[in-house]
Amino acid sequence: MPVVETHELRRVYKSTTGFVRRRVKATEAVKGVSLQIEEGELFGLLGPNGAGKTTTIKILTTLLLPTSGSATVLGFDVAKQAKEVRRQIGYVFGGERGLYDRLSALDNLRYFADIYRVPPRAQRSRIDELLELVGLKGRERERVETYSRGMKQRLHIARGLVHDPPVLFLDEPTIGLDPVGARELRGTIAGLKDAGKTILLTTHYMFEADDLCDRIAVIASGEIVAEGTPATLKSRVAERHVIEIEVFGAEAAAIDRVRALEGVSSVAVEDHDQAQLLVVQSARGAALVDSLLRELDGTRIGRVVSREPTLEDAYVDLVGAT
Amino acid sequence: MIRLAARGVLLQFKILSQSAFDMLNAAFWPLVFATIAYYLFRSGSHARSLFDASLGATVMTMWATCGIGAAFAVQWQRRLGTLELLVASPTPFIALLAPITIAYAALGIYSLASTLLWGRVLFGIPVDPVHPFLFVVSLPAAILAIGMLGLLVSSTLILYRAAGALGNSLEYPIWLATGLLVPLSLLPGWVRPISWLLAPTWGMRALRESALGGSPLPAIGWCLVTSAAYAALAAVFLGHFERLAREKASFALT
Repeated sequence: MPVVETHELRRVYKSTTGFVRRRVKATEAVKGVSLQIEEGELFGLLGPNGAGKTTTIKILTTLLLPTSGSATVLGFDVAKQAKEVRRQIGYVFGGERGLYDRLSALDNLRYFADIYRVPPRAQRSRIDELLELVGLKGRERERVETYSRGMKQRLHIARGLVHDPPVLFLDEPTIGLDPVGARELRGTIAGLKDAGKTILLTTHYMFEADDLCDRIAVIASGEIVAEGTPATLKSRVAERHVIEIEVFGAEAAAIDRVRALEGVSSVAVEDHDQAQLLVVQSARGAALVDSLLRELDGTRIGRVVSREPTLEDAYVDLVGAT
Repeated sequence: MIRLAARGVLLQFKILSQSAFDMLNAAFWPLVFATIAYYLFRSGSHARSLFDASLGATVMTMWATCGIGAAFAVQWQRRLGTLELLVASPTPFIALLAPITIAYAALGIYSLASTLLWGRVLFGIPVDPVHPFLFVVSLPAAILAIGMLGLLVSSTLILYRAAGALGNSLEYPIWLATGLLVPLSLLPGWVRPISWLLAPTWGMRALRESALGGSPLPAIGWCLVTSAAYAALAAVFLGHFERLAREKASFALT
């Protein structure tokens, strides 16, 4: 039996505008998401901002009710058996909030241990274990407001694990961390998977999903557009080739001309300060560099790199198609 | 559950004590109210004793710190980003919110002590309750009732991001409607039934009658009855509003 299962999950947000003439606006954030996560699996939900990742995770953690469809965690219905679900899960989100920053890490962990009814005798050893796990041993009596962002995030993980839940929901846990802090945290997450936890991780960092996840679902505009192992998703673009062109002040018309070129599968534009990076995907073997540069005639060109596709290219291809 | 409540109260005190501003605020306001009460009633024509005035100032301070503080509790948790985490825990939310309220309410003991001491030292107001034992009993009853009113207010504000401002706006109406600021006899007749439903009315009456003479036991009893009613209503509201919040997605972190 899957540990986490959703079936045709939908969530509509309603907002009202206007004072005299009130208008109700409905936004469908999740449109029929179905997924299954097996025991001990680290499952990645990958998608851009506003794709529906956090809404899905909030439904699974019982903070939101689905508009329709169903979801279960360890067989418990998240809408009707919220209390049972809450006992079995740990929920960790990214960012600096979600902690009592005027208190020490120890006080934060003790409080949440009481909230989750961890027996008093087991609390000390459990908290010690967690402080070791997240590398905060020796700093536990310092006030959280004096911690770095990375330390706070690791404390978040410890808080989410204080009652030793079998299922863990991690909502963009590495967001805003410096590269070293993010790498340390990824190491901690990998350790949790090794310890047998079932984990649902949302992220928009491709390398993170590639590095950590057993399986990935790509979500865009509220729908799952692809699902599989990182290798399977990469294979979607295996027959392609990628050309990166650094341009300065390229006009929209020039980019549209590039898109329209025969043999071009997709074009993604990344803004980098004064420059833009055009990531052009094409069929393998297509000799396109000259044609591309011709279409960009009149635009200042920087470096041009030809490379093999990555998971990120697969992701851009999938998300761009929606 | 008792351990959780004790931990909640303790941590709330720790949090409050970490802020010099909060500490100064808590220390300062009782003195301001006591001073205002003294000068107001010294020059006024009403025959209320200065001790009575100090008690009124005490209950005003209690509501200002306990009731309003409790009302801000939900907003404060939302600002910290812990509201979602508390709601996502298996413990009923009322069991997490009540200790915060009780911590604020316990500040009422300081309010009473500092107000009476300030009045005694600076203005020579005598502190000689007629029923000392019942006066000691009246105090926790009044604190409990006021704290539970704060919990009730807090429970109704879970759906709204502007909860703090709404809670703040209740400060003066409660002072007025419970006869703390001016005697109820000066207010229109329709205010009286409202005042009977408000715990500070009975808290004030219990303290006044034990201090100045009378029978405080009925008022103490009403403090307990209103407290129980407020706690029960808060539990119902929290359950209902939590479900509504899950439907309306108002457990936002921002």
